[in-house]
Amino acid sequence: MKYDVAVIGAGPAGLAAAISAEKHGAKVVLIEREDRLGGVLKQCIHDGFGLIRYGEKLSGCEYANRYIDILIERMNYGNIELKLKTFVSKVDKIDDGFNLLLSSRGKLENIKSEKIIFATGCRERTPKQVSIHGSRPSGVFTAGLAQYYLNINGQMLGKKCVILGSGDIGLIMARRLTLEGANVLGVYEAKDSPSGLTRNIYQCLEDFDIPLYLSHTVTRLHGRNRLEGVTISRVDQNMVPIEGTEEYISCDTLIVSVGLIPENELPKTLNVPLSKHTKGAIVNQYYETEVKGIYACGNALHVNDLVDYVSESGEEAGKFAAIRDKFEQEAVEVTFTSDFGYVVPQKIVKDTEPATFYFRTSKIRENVIVKVYDGDKEIFKKKYLNLKPPEMEKIKVPIDGVSEIRFVMEVIQ
Amino acid sequence: MNINRKLKKRFANNVKAKLVDDKIVLSGNVSSWDEKVSAGLIASKPGGRVHVVNDIKVKGLEDEKTIFPFINDNKLDGRKPDVLIIGGGVVGCAIARELSKYDIDILLVEKEYDVALHASSRNDGMIHPGLDIKPGRLKKKLNNIGNAMYDEFCSELDIKFNRCGQYLCFANYILLIPIIFAIPYFNLTAAGKTHFVSRKEMRKREPHISEDIKYGLYFDGAGSICPYGLTIALAENAIQNGAEISLDTAVKDMKLSGNKIEEVVTNRGCIHPKMIINAAGVFSEEIAKMAGDRFFSIHPRKGTSAILDKEAKKNVNTIYSSFNLEKNNHNTKGGGIVSTVDGNVLVGPNAIETNEKENFDTEKSSIDSVFKKQKRVGNWLTGNDIITYFTGVRAATYEEDFIVEKGRNTHNIFHAAGIQSPGLTAAPAIAVMMRELINKEIPEMIRKEKYLSHRKTFPKISEMDEDDRREYIEKNPDYGEIVCRCEEISKGEILDSMRGPLRCDTVDAVKRRARPGMGRCQGGFCGPQVAKLISIEKGIPLNEVRKGYEDSYILLGEKNEI
Repeated sequence: MKYDVAVIGAGPAGLAAAISAEKHGAKVVLIEREDRLGGVLKQCIHDGFGLIRYGEKLSGCEYANRYIDILIERMNYGNIELKLKTFVSKVDKIDDGFNLLLSSRGKLENIKSEKIIFATGCRERTPKQVSIHGSRPSGVFTAGLAQYYLNINGQMLGKKCVILGSGDIGLIMARRLTLEGANVLGVYEAKDSPSGLTRNIYQCLEDFDIPLYLSHTVTRLHGRNRLEGVTISRVDQNMVPIEGTEEYISCDTLIVSVGLIPENELPKTLNVPLSKHTKGAIVNQYYETEVKGIYACGNALHVNDLVDYVSESGEEAGKFAAIRDKFEQEAVEVTFTSDFGYVVPQKIVKDTEPATFYFRTSKIRENVIVKVYDGDKEIFKKKYLNLKPPEMEKIKVPIDGVSEIRFVMEVIQ
Repeated sequence: MNINRKLKKRFANNVKAKLVDDKIVLSGNVSSWDEKVSAGLIASKPGGRVHVVNDIKVKGLEDEKTIFPFINDNKLDGRKPDVLIIGGGVVGCAIARELSKYDIDILLVEKEYDVALHASSRNDGMIHPGLDIKPGRLKKKLNNIGNAMYDEFCSELDIKFNRCGQYLCFANYILLIPIIFAIPYFNLTAAGKTHFVSRKEMRKREPHISEDIKYGLYFDGAGSICPYGLTIALAENAIQNGAEISLDTAVKDMKLSGNKIEEVVTNRGCIHPKMIINAAGVFSEEIAKMAGDRFFSIHPRKGTSAILDKEAKKNVNTIYSSFNLEKNNHNTKGGGIVSTVDGNVLVGPNAIETNEKENFDTEKSSIDSVFKKQKRVGNWLTGNDIITYFTGVRAATYEEDFIVEKGRNTHNIFHAAGIQSPGLTAAPAIAVMMRELINKEIPEMIRKEKYLSHRKTFPKISEMDEDDRREYIEKNPDYGEIVCRCEEISKGEILDSMRGPLRCDTVDAVKRRARPGMGRCQGGFCGPQVAKLISIEKGIPLNEVRKGYEDSYILLGEKNEI
């Protein structure tokens, strides 16, 4: 069986990509490792999804269902094949596309596809990756894992919880555990500003009187069997724990929400160049990576804060994977100053259509103008009252005839 | 006595040595654990057979309390095995397997919930050439014999062994001449052959060795294995051959009559063995004391290593380490960068004296020092590649040599004590030596006709070639369902890991056998899947699934019930 487009991962990005590729005429296979569609949205029972896309506050599950419904409808046309509980073990480049080795219950099969879209999402950074030492008891969870146990398995995690990291999942879990009757002692954040969305700081912490301690981190775990307590330390500007500021906090659960890393293990085996800023693939405005025929979208490309943008990138990737061959190949570099955390896409192919860019500021800024230059020529500018690293911005920039693209940020005097 | 003069110089009149029944007994008071260890080292003769027994008290420091299993029953009450082995580390399990070749009744007791939970899982998995050990030491002899046994040993036990070799790297020319002259000597005294390698040759095989390395030595006898995988294999093979392994079983006391142990008291009942083998690692001194046969002391020495992501594997194909010009003190000895058989990279360990035998806490300072040291030879090393770290505790004697012998005072105990590095390499040889000692006591010991020398374990699906894999999955559908995506471990492997001859019913025990959760996400995705499979396979509710130790429950139960 030969497909036009193989989409790996059926979370919000993959669902959107598969639907969009099919709508644009491709024969699609959608491959999902789990037994159900929706990816991480399955466990997101809180609301706030779809504000931009639908102007509604949906739960993650509801949001996913809107796409699942469309997918099922489109499957009636016979051009989308769905493979659930199927793991992509290996991808090899072949003459006219790619060979995928798929493992599923009782079956190991090879399929061929001309294009591949990686919609593999991201994984969580672990406690060891933020240098937490001491013992190795049970009761230490990454936030997404905790959310799975609580919302999918319906299992309670602990009674006295400390949360490390003010990323969105950490904040949502602080509220969720409180609602389930656990005592959430506090959220500790090593940075001097919150990592999550402002709305989550209000809705998840302030509304529930959960204290947020900035410039603090967990340095040590205690307890041989189940967690008995943690050591908290204050940190300096470089997030290095300050000696002498240690404080012991008795607790039975530690939830760690210290960042997400795009999953790109398979693209790496295909020598897809990754960006050191996003940890995702380097792509052009068509979501195509530097390796022809390989596309990336959603959180596998860069970690988004809103699912609406994830779907959007999936749709674009799906569309272009289906029709891309009509376009030019030659690309120009997108550069940016250190005022930016990152800018995606990192390459621009010559086109008359304006290109959509997503960017993050590297630190909190007020009253700035973001300008985009082609050489000395200013091709775009936009004012911002404030920019925060947790909040991604989206702009549309005309790129007709550009020879380079340079992002700068200027303070309004 | 010369020792007392030295002790007086260092500790005034606070510490005294006395020769009692061929052992040097130290007594007195000091103010720190390090001082107690220094006194022991001053009084000892490295490699000597007259051992230091260190009874010095440290001000403000109470004796370490052993952590005993919670369970108390009489499962083993009245058991009368021919041989009771105390300790389920690699040494105890190797002895159990060696003795299980013979028609005798063997019982091994281990106080933890699984075998290999102390030093046998907490080491770098290196099979040593034994270069740095002085000739004449027992551990030199056992290392060399053991090293030569490894290929067959691992093939019988279905364990991966990579005799990858080791590079010892030098950054300056001061030692060039002495080293070249020493090669024939190394060839005579160490396991395998030693070759001089130029920087160019070295970088052919290890292109990522630091730029400033000028030349090196290559030891072709060095290799790498998974140490807990080996211990589990030994235990399983021993069970297949009729040995009994009782987990969660700690020895608490012994009752003697004259020079003979009559009864061994455990938390699972009283055992009446004919002979007892002390393979209790850091607790071997306590066991010897219970047996009325304490003629040595253990000073625990902990070491911490880091495991790096498979990404880092491109930088190391073998084992390499830098030669230290500084005086080889205990805090900086050994260690290196090891390419593991499971495709990771291991960095470390360091060495720090400690009074705590069961404290496996890690410290940031240890990781920092290990990295600083190994960066000399691998300047590509970065903390960003770390996926986990662990601490182990070595069971060192003051003489820094192995003790494998019959009790000196008590006649039916046999010690395999003071086994630290290279104990893993030496384990097969220690087992043979112990069997010979036991054989002297039971000359009529006969070899079983039906001894199963080969143990076969479940396959690693991700390592099979495509056709074999397809065929296996078609016959065993569970092997097609991938549960752990980082390590590509199937449901079939996880289920089969729980169906071996040795009990396995915790997340960590499954992890040591089948590796789910060993990868870069550290169980973030597969954790709930593995817990669920344990719950189904063992018929227990999800909230009774443990991480490892007693009471290490992961979940509290259904949320509406609490």
